[in-house]
Amino acid sequence: MKTKVTKEEGQITVAFSGRLDTPAAQEANPIINPLLEEADKTIILDCKDLTYISSSGLRIFLTLRKAAEDKGGKIIVQSINDDIRSVFMMTGFLNLFEIR
Amino acid sequence: MNVTERTKKLAEKAMKRRTRWTGLLLIIVSVAILEAISLVQAYYAQEGIRQEAKTKAESQLDASRSGILNIVNQVESAVRNSVWVAQWSLQVPDSLANIPKLIVNNNPLVAGSTIAMVPNYYKDRPLYSPYTAITNGEIIETSLATPEYDYPSQEWFVKPIELDRGYWSEPYVDTGGGEILMTTYSVPIKDSQGKTAAVLTADLDLEWLTALAHETKIYPGAFSTVVSRTGRLLVSPDNSLIMNTTIDEYAATVKDTAHFNALNRAMLNRETGSIQVSHNGEKNMVYYAPIDKTGWAMNIIIPEKEMFADLRKLDNLIRILQVLGLLLIIMIFRAIAKSQLRFKSLSEKKELMEGELKIASDIQMSMIPKTFPPFPERKDIDLSAALVPAKEVSGDLYDFFIRDEKLFFCIGDVSGKGVPASLLMAVTRSLFRTIGAHNDNPKDMVTSMNKSMSDMNESNMFVTFICCVLNLKTGKMQYCNAGHNAPLIFTDKISELPVNPNLPLGVIRNMEFTLQEVTLHHDDAIFLYTDGITEAENPAHELFGIQRLKETLSGRKPAQAHLDNVKKAVADFVKEAPQSDDLTMLFFHYLNNTEDNKPAQSKSMHSITLTNDISQLSRLEGLISKIAEEHHIPHPVESSINLAMEEAVTNVIMYSGSEKVNIQAESTPDEIIFTITDCGKPFDPTQAPDVDTSKVAVDRPIGGLGIHLYRKIMDSVTYKRQDNKNILTLTKKIQ
Repeated sequence: MKTKVTKEEGQITVAFSGRLDTPAAQEANPIINPLLEEADKTIILDCKDLTYISSSGLRIFLTLRKAAEDKGGKIIVQSINDDIRSVFMMTGFLNLFEIR
Repeated sequence: MNVTERTKKLAEKAMKRRTRWTGLLLIIVSVAILEAISLVQAYYAQEGIRQEAKTKAESQLDASRSGILNIVNQVESAVRNSVWVAQWSLQVPDSLANIPKLIVNNNPLVAGSTIAMVPNYYKDRPLYSPYTAITNGEIIETSLATPEYDYPSQEWFVKPIELDRGYWSEPYVDTGGGEILMTTYSVPIKDSQGKTAAVLTADLDLEWLTALAHETKIYPGAFSTVVSRTGRLLVSPDNSLIMNTTIDEYAATVKDTAHFNALNRAMLNRETGSIQVSHNGEKNMVYYAPIDKTGWAMNIIIPEKEMFADLRKLDNLIRILQVLGLLLIIMIFRAIAKSQLRFKSLSEKKELMEGELKIASDIQMSMIPKTFPPFPERKDIDLSAALVPAKEVSGDLYDFFIRDEKLFFCIGDVSGKGVPASLLMAVTRSLFRTIGAHNDNPKDMVTSMNKSMSDMNESNMFVTFICCVLNLKTGKMQYCNAGHNAPLIFTDKISELPVNPNLPLGVIRNMEFTLQEVTLHHDDAIFLYTDGITEAENPAHELFGIQRLKETLSGRKPAQAHLDNVKKAVADFVKEAPQSDDLTMLFFHYLNNTEDNKPAQSKSMHSITLTNDISQLSRLEGLISKIAEEHHIPHPVESSINLAMEEAVTNVIMYSGSEKVNIQAESTPDEIIFTITDCGKPFDPTQAPDVDTSKVAVDRPIGGLGIHLYRKIMDSVTYKRQDNKNILTLTKKIQ
């Protein structure tokens, strides 16, 4: 599991790869938490190489989404695979995010 | 002819006459009793059926309503979740077209969507309304800002601005892509100055609504209609009426206009209830309820003819049985009358009385099931029962039958003995059968029986009674006691089943009885009995007592063997003392060993134990991929099983406080059963409230998603607490 953050003008891209399960989410938390302060920008969650997500991973997404709503930013989820799409479906996440 | 012979002849004549009169009286009384029993039975059966129809209709209405609301909620949240993107995009007019496109793309339920600007909001485009629609799987992007359509005057545009909230439009027929029934949900969008800038909408295709209404076939001939807030028919069995007729117009075309109008008022006033209406000369029951948010109302219409179809059959059967019973009484009477002429001395008359009582006893015993084993084809039931009367006729009863995979059984003891007690026993047993034919809640059964017995009870007799209904699949047994002594329950020990005493049947008409519940497991047993057993006296006036009874019943034996042992033990105990009370008992051994009932299959077992460290989860992943390989489980299924199990085990590791967690997997080609066991603090996830997935982001709690996920993925999740352990069982079907 790797989490890579790239910052550009007014836009932050977070690229996840591999499995975002409970242990991986615990590793990713210290990387994601500082971004909550910058949630007034557009944050793109790139899931092109993400193969699996559990509720701990979903929690990270939801925390970011709430911060964006508070601060007036925007979260875009990009390139999710079919497995992850079905998890998004079961949890109602499809309607919470702008998905590309 | 001498004097003695003449006297004899006269006496014989007088006796014949008397016999004839007694006979006539007996027949009249029998007819009256039979008729009274059948009237009581018909009344309670009819009430029961009405109650059942009401329950069925209400739960069907509830199910349909929540089905509709589920869809409505999904569409509402699709629109509401896009409101903030829309506000955000107001500064960039060109990007607005993306919003309807995203709503349509991400929500299979939405057939079309637009963001329609308030006229002249943008100086350079006085009318602006980019529209995305999906027709036959093809996405079409157009604009609604055409002179012919004039969107600013449409209901979906005007109403939400006027009301300043989300609004469901009156359903309409969309002529754009075929004749499709649609409704539109729209919300006003405000800019940063709080000025209304636009209206964002989603169109919902209502084709599924007809299908939903067709699921209401709870009785043959039953159907549903749905009406809009203006009373227009949205669903009707007659397609030509849909959208063309209002219910008021329809009411004017039928004979029973008054009742139809009352129904229409109630539905349009958004009330819940029921009403009887006539249509084409047939009586119908209509149950109705409003549907929130949309302004619609729904009803279920059940023809009474269909509702009572079974009852009519039963009624005819009872009539035939009554006629047969009457013929039997006449025949018995004639036989007695003939023989009576031959007996004159007192001792002969006594014999005759005993003969009659013997017949009464035979008739009585023929009312309770006496063939054991009663269900030879069933491997899960070992049941036997016995009734040993103290006098010729008994006031005790037991009975049992199976309906819908549920075993109904009961035992009762009528106050007093002899013929009056036996008559009340017959009434009790017949009420148990009649009420049990359409009700499976012991509390309701006992309450109904108590009511009708209190009504008939002029001689102030009463019956102690216990009624049990066991779900043979799950082992869940519900029971209700009416003043009877506690049954014995056999688990790993013999104990008394906890029973609330309540009052016997026939004492207080409005007695509130209480329902109790116990779960029987494989190899558990229940012993119902009357106090004739524990209160059997020996010549020294000692009682047999519950301790002796428990000792006699120790060990696992066939039900019949237990009963024989008890009979023998009581007989040995009382010795030559006369039997003072009826001995009645019922022994039921539950053998729900699901393993035995299943055909042998290729089965595999795996077990791992993890310490409470998140890093151990990779071993769980390894276990699941091994099982997936063994049974050739496709990747997406494996991935979802993995997710469900990770969630369930993570919760134990993080929150239970248990140092270890054991995971057992038992798999067949059909299903995998996972059992997660830990010694942590008690927690039953099946009782956790479900997550509302239609809420908007701010209202969504961060936790609870894990339990929600595994409950969704697995086919069943059950929990039990045993020996201070949490045992969670998750089953996934894989074929």
